[in-house]
Amino acid sequence: MAAQGEAGGKDEVKTQFATREGTYKLMTLSEYSRPTRVPYNGQTKDTPVRVSFIPMHGSQDPTAKNVTEDKICFNVGKELYVYQYKGVRKAADLTKPVDKRMYKGTQPTCHDFNQFSAKPDSILLLVGFSAGQVQLIDPLRRDNSKIFNDDRTIDKTKVTCIKWIPASSNHFLVSHASGQMYVYDEDLQCGPAPPHYQLFKSGDAFSVFTCKTKSSRNPMYRWVVGDGSINEFAFSPCSNYLAVVSQDGFMRVFNYNSMELLGSMKSYFGGLLCVCWSPDGKYIVCGGEDDLITVWSFHEKRVVCRGRGHKSWVNQVAFDPYTTSYDVDSLPDFCGSDDDFGQGTSVRNSSLLQETLRGSARSNTSKGSGRSFPDRTSHTSGGPSIVCYRFGSVSQDTQLCLWDLTEDILRQPFGRHRTSTIISQTSLPPGVTATTTTPNSISSTKNNSVASQNHTSKEHSTADGTAHTHQHNSSSSASSGVMHKFATLALGDRKKEDHDKKDHKRNFSLGSRSGDKVPLLKSGTNKSMDDAIRLMGTLSCPRMEDVPLLEPLVCKKVAQERLTSLVFREECLVTACMEGYVYTWARPGKVGLTRQHMLASPPLMPAGGSTML
Amino acid sequence: MGVQSSQLEREIGSDQFPMNEHYFGLINFGNTCYCNSVLQALYFCKPFRDKVLHYKQQQKNQRKETLLTCLADLFHSIATQKKKCGTIAPKKFIQRLRKENEIFDNYMQQDAHEFLNYLLNTVADILQEKNQNKSKNSTMTSNGPTTTNNKADPCWVHDIFQGTLTNETRCLNCETVSSKDEDFLDLSVDVEQNTSITHCLRGFSDTETLCSEYKYYCEVCCSKQEAQKRMRVKKLPHILALHLKRFKYMEQMNRFTKLSYRVVFPLELRLFNTSDDAYNPDRLYDLIAVVIHCGSTANRGHYITIVKSHGLWLLFDDDIVEKIDVSAVEEFYGLTSDGLQKNSESGYILFYQSRE
Repeated sequence: MAAQGEAGGKDEVKTQFATREGTYKLMTLSEYSRPTRVPYNGQTKDTPVRVSFIPMHGSQDPTAKNVTEDKICFNVGKELYVYQYKGVRKAADLTKPVDKRMYKGTQPTCHDFNQFSAKPDSILLLVGFSAGQVQLIDPLRRDNSKIFNDDRTIDKTKVTCIKWIPASSNHFLVSHASGQMYVYDEDLQCGPAPPHYQLFKSGDAFSVFTCKTKSSRNPMYRWVVGDGSINEFAFSPCSNYLAVVSQDGFMRVFNYNSMELLGSMKSYFGGLLCVCWSPDGKYIVCGGEDDLITVWSFHEKRVVCRGRGHKSWVNQVAFDPYTTSYDVDSLPDFCGSDDDFGQGTSVRNSSLLQETLRGSARSNTSKGSGRSFPDRTSHTSGGPSIVCYRFGSVSQDTQLCLWDLTEDILRQPFGRHRTSTIISQTSLPPGVTATTTTPNSISSTKNNSVASQNHTSKEHSTADGTAHTHQHNSSSSASSGVMHKFATLALGDRKKEDHDKKDHKRNFSLGSRSGDKVPLLKSGTNKSMDDAIRLMGTLSCPRMEDVPLLEPLVCKKVAQERLTSLVFREECLVTACMEGYVYTWARPGKVGLTRQHMLASPPLMPAGGSTML
Repeated sequence: MGVQSSQLEREIGSDQFPMNEHYFGLINFGNTCYCNSVLQALYFCKPFRDKVLHYKQQQKNQRKETLLTCLADLFHSIATQKKKCGTIAPKKFIQRLRKENEIFDNYMQQDAHEFLNYLLNTVADILQEKNQNKSKNSTMTSNGPTTTNNKADPCWVHDIFQGTLTNETRCLNCETVSSKDEDFLDLSVDVEQNTSITHCLRGFSDTETLCSEYKYYCEVCCSKQEAQKRMRVKKLPHILALHLKRFKYMEQMNRFTKLSYRVVFPLELRLFNTSDDAYNPDRLYDLIAVVIHCGSTANRGHYITIVKSHGLWLLFDDDIVEKIDVSAVEEFYGLTSDGLQKNSESGYILFYQSRE
């Protein structure tokens, strides 16, 4: 079994992990890969494995089962696979791919299904390639295929991200390692000659060009953004805005239609590799070469917090709309409207959200917990109704992290005094945190793994104000709901408060080198007009101590190889790694839905023994 | 050779070729690639090169040959070549090196980091000795005590490469924190599989608990106590040299083996593990050179160097110089598969230069 760790101890690959809502379990039979496995040769030149889904509507009809099952697409090396995705309920059948393609001289790098035009007998799949080409295929009907930028006259560099433009059935956007993005129309030709461009619009660190021809041709527009490769982009849920992350370390948000730059932020250092929007469009989360997660508020145009837990570069981030918590008081406002969402969400998420809306009716009645996804308008107009956002990240360190972004964090003003409110709320003398540590956590004073079990549980015990010693091995159980609000606040932040209490005994959280630093020492060093230096200490790139530092709710090694993809679905989350294995992790309680021949243990296990150590 | 050099020139393009810049390969005198690779990296550390060339000008009629005069002659001869590309034989330098230190007086493969360390310290010593002679002469007349050897004024090697670590120890009994500063010319960091240099650097500052036989003598408690210790960077150097500890002594095998772990390093870097009283904690660094070890063990294998010069990336493999794309840097992160014996071309010494 590939998922089992051969090495013991902390390097062991986990097959399940616990969060406050319960235990996620790897569905070993729902593992997707090449039909026949070849040993991974660790080629550094290989492109990351990406995963795309398309929900096939009308799956209520049991007779047409095969046609209407969701489809999964992923690339491995030179190959591209499309399978029926059977979720957590049924084992994957790798012998019968819906479509399988192998390419020569170029590798697929990314892909995107058109969510709007999908029919039971026809779906449109865009594929970008390492040599710059773009192919449009229909995995259900082999005859139907088009190639764009075939002779590479438009761009010769690797396609880094490809998306259908939301609410459009024939326009798509393609970004390249050259730092350029192109808008294509599926129905237009690319033309034999290289395009001639004319400037259409420009602004700070970006410009947009159109093709200078009599007859309209592809590309319709060329965007030049920042300096260096564009690594990923994402449309906002309302589809009006476009967030772009680049190798120059900037995330830039544009109004896509008016082509205006609305805001930007800079990584702590290094390139930004991934970006995603919160389901309500209020926050953008980025990950990159600083090993950090950075949360940026679209409305306030500032970095609100950072997250530290990964040991290497962050390859992908995604919000989990299904585990987002809502203010119970705001729930009466809830009026789910499928239509609103169908038009108003990004290509990648729209259908997920629709599913959620449908699913939320169920979960509201069954759980009454308000863990659902109400209409966007209800909380943009009616005050903050999301009280806790959940997102996840996967990294080259082979770890998956889950993060809770709570109201308390989001409301903290910029600056150093911010943590005081949190601390007073915990009403816990700082010294107590130090003394509640059990021998177990003392051994973790080597602060090398922020993600360790010990560490996570410490957060819980402090936030909760009591020493739940049983948690030291089990992390939080679903029942400890009180804790989750503070679960991800770094202890290091608290430390600042204790400064005159002679500092903390343990846990020199390095990011918290802060608190008492004299600002005078730092100013006056930057005479340079260099952006990255100039922005240091501003809302676009605050110092580490100026914003809260999140620690992950969960941080687990879930693969042998670098993780490259993360998708949240209603019943599960899906991860993929460089080796070409796509794992399905059943959400708590979702395993038992099936009477299955798999060896999974029953759902909703008690917190004790639920995590494999 | 003439063909080679013009090929590099063609690749770069005459209009793109940086003014007053020379890309010269260094001939290998039998396993001297450890030396060539470090020399190239240092040549492209602009502040270092400038100082060495300046020294050459100052010392026009120096009688005594030192390692520094040999280095200055070598840099000068590269910098004053008529051709833009070519090869040069660092013969005098190697001879001097072999004469001065018996470790290097053979034809075996040596450790590039050890050589870097030796070279920087030797150059610093030569400079300080001179300064001291000068200051001795001047302070003789005044009645101040003469400075001792280890308190010599910092020289430009220190200005460029030296940073300061602060070693903080907290007594767990009385909670008193005592700190001691230590200077460094480079940082050696432990490596782990599938991590980043950022993570490895943080590991460097991990908190250590001193207990049982390693208890710490606390001056306040006047007794041995359990204590916690950590190291953080107090003064960030202008050029940050990071040595990845890829050679690990394996007791079972009774020899060093190479850890080919994949350790990613970004082109842009800041440090997380700075101390509260750090004087320049926000420094932003750019990757300017990487010494790469190729092969499976410390004693066998080869060293090459990649450098950034005027926005171009170049690969120096002894006498061969090639232009590479910046994306090729990722080929030198290391390997993800766990085999210890695996042959790899992986980053060994990273040179980051502060942007200000």
